[in-house]
Amino acid sequence: MSVIQSSTTRQDDKDSPERISELRTTPIMVFRKYLPWFVTVLNLTVFFIVWELFARSEVVSDLFLPRPSDIWAAVVEGFQIGLFQQHLIYSLRNFALGLGLATLVGVPIGLLMGANRVVDSIFSPYVWSMASLPRIALVPLFILILGFSDVMKVSIIFLSAIFPIIINCMAGVKTTDPSLLRAARVFGAGRRQLYTKVVFPFTLPFIISGINQGMTRGLVGLIIAEIFGGNRGLGFLIVRSADTYNSPRLFAVLIMLVIVSLSFVQGIRWVEHKVAPWRREAAL
Amino acid sequence: MATAAKSADGATSTNGVAIVAENLTAGYQKLKEKVRLTALADISLTVRKSEFIALVGPSGCGKTTFINVVAGLLPPWSGTVTVNGEPITGPGPDRAMVFQNYALMPWRTVEENIKLPFEFQGKGRYSEEEINPRVSHYIELVGLAGFERSFPYELSGGMLQRVGIARALVAEPDILLADEPFAAVDAMSREAMQGELERIIEKTGQTVIFITHSIEEALILADRVAVISYRPGRLREIVDVTFERPRYSYDVKADPRFAPLREHVWGLLRAEALGATRGELET
Repeated sequence: MSVIQSSTTRQDDKDSPERISELRTTPIMVFRKYLPWFVTVLNLTVFFIVWELFARSEVVSDLFLPRPSDIWAAVVEGFQIGLFQQHLIYSLRNFALGLGLATLVGVPIGLLMGANRVVDSIFSPYVWSMASLPRIALVPLFILILGFSDVMKVSIIFLSAIFPIIINCMAGVKTTDPSLLRAARVFGAGRRQLYTKVVFPFTLPFIISGINQGMTRGLVGLIIAEIFGGNRGLGFLIVRSADTYNSPRLFAVLIMLVIVSLSFVQGIRWVEHKVAPWRREAAL
Repeated sequence: MATAAKSADGATSTNGVAIVAENLTAGYQKLKEKVRLTALADISLTVRKSEFIALVGPSGCGKTTFINVVAGLLPPWSGTVTVNGEPITGPGPDRAMVFQNYALMPWRTVEENIKLPFEFQGKGRYSEEEINPRVSHYIELVGLAGFERSFPYELSGGMLQRVGIARALVAEPDILLADEPFAAVDAMSREAMQGELERIIEKTGQTVIFITHSIEEALILADRVAVISYRPGRLREIVDVTFERPRYSYDVKADPRFAPLREHVWGLLRAEALGATRGELET
């Protein structure tokens, strides 16, 4: 079935390119490659079918567990009347703003804190106390000061996202492999080059990991801020749907949230893989 | 082969002296603690041009400190070290190092790693057009043709060290410092790498200071072997190694002079090594 071409091996080099031979693509190889996808699709299909049947059996009230078919109808309806787009875009816009600012501010601070002991001691008490505080506790205060405005929401997202970013960047700089620094110095690297050509590339996966964590926390901040107050956004939609006993719509929003969140996380992981394929273990 | 004195003394005025250390004392001091760790005490050593000298001694005896000083990474506490007559003020293009754990930038390809000295030190005496051919030349010299675009994580230990060697030699330094370069390489590759190194240095002609734990490795590779005592490191003795070169072309260990020489060096080190394992410190 499969054809393996024999290769000529070079005696001296056990890893020579000639030793790695090409195989002809066979059906079984295609099958095995796509098998995980296939299993997942099958898995989810079964899941929704079971859900549908269970919901139809009315063991649990329709209110608590709507049918997937109803949920789907709500999704379609929500987009048709423009409701979902409106709130989705609103939320995403604020999220992007909050996360973007957190990255812009957090990365330099984190890198500086890692590089410089003085900066570290100056910022440390604030960073660690704010990082430990559940940001949700700040929401009532922020509403008091900033009302239900967009500024309030962006602030909460910003504060939720920034601390993992700072902490990861700091850790990245501090744990830069000293042998790399030594090697760079031997070959004549100046202080500036040490930072730009050794520390920064080394830290990049940490930065991305920090943004990843900032993203997940920022999302939490977003939803919380929208649930607490205001009349727009996914969080608001969740509360509204619950208040109006519109369970299919509620679930529809939740599922959208899952998809959004998953996309972000997978997106970042893809970026990380592109930028730093050499990084095997996850940073922090 | 020129005869060498059994012990080192001051600089000879003739041409051909690369490195002179006189009464060198150096060590490390931790900022927070009051402890000063003297790694090397009163070392005097002369290394001739194009000589291959090995430093052997138990762990922690200051061998790495010595090459850190020669590399310009560490200032001496007292005494002097000169390279080609000039005192050392810092790292320079005339000295390069090969590291035990390769110290390659994992985000750079093989050829980008080898180009590194030019990026940091500037192109020196080479023009822009000359650099890429030089890099290719050294990639070929170490036997890694075809792997220019590979990343370190794709290569084996022996291959990684060859990249390290190419990187060290690409800017044609006068002096090559090797900090146990083959310690992390598997045993079979290690033997092959020893031969490779000799073959390469034969062509490029650097002065080499080579640190190793392996007495055999020192005897196989070096013209002279300097035995360093345990902390603080002092020069116990320098042993001449007069086996014919090229040593990769025959089995040096089979030479009848090899075993007695090894015994001799081991005898010098035995007491030191035992002291090291018991963690005894000389004051």
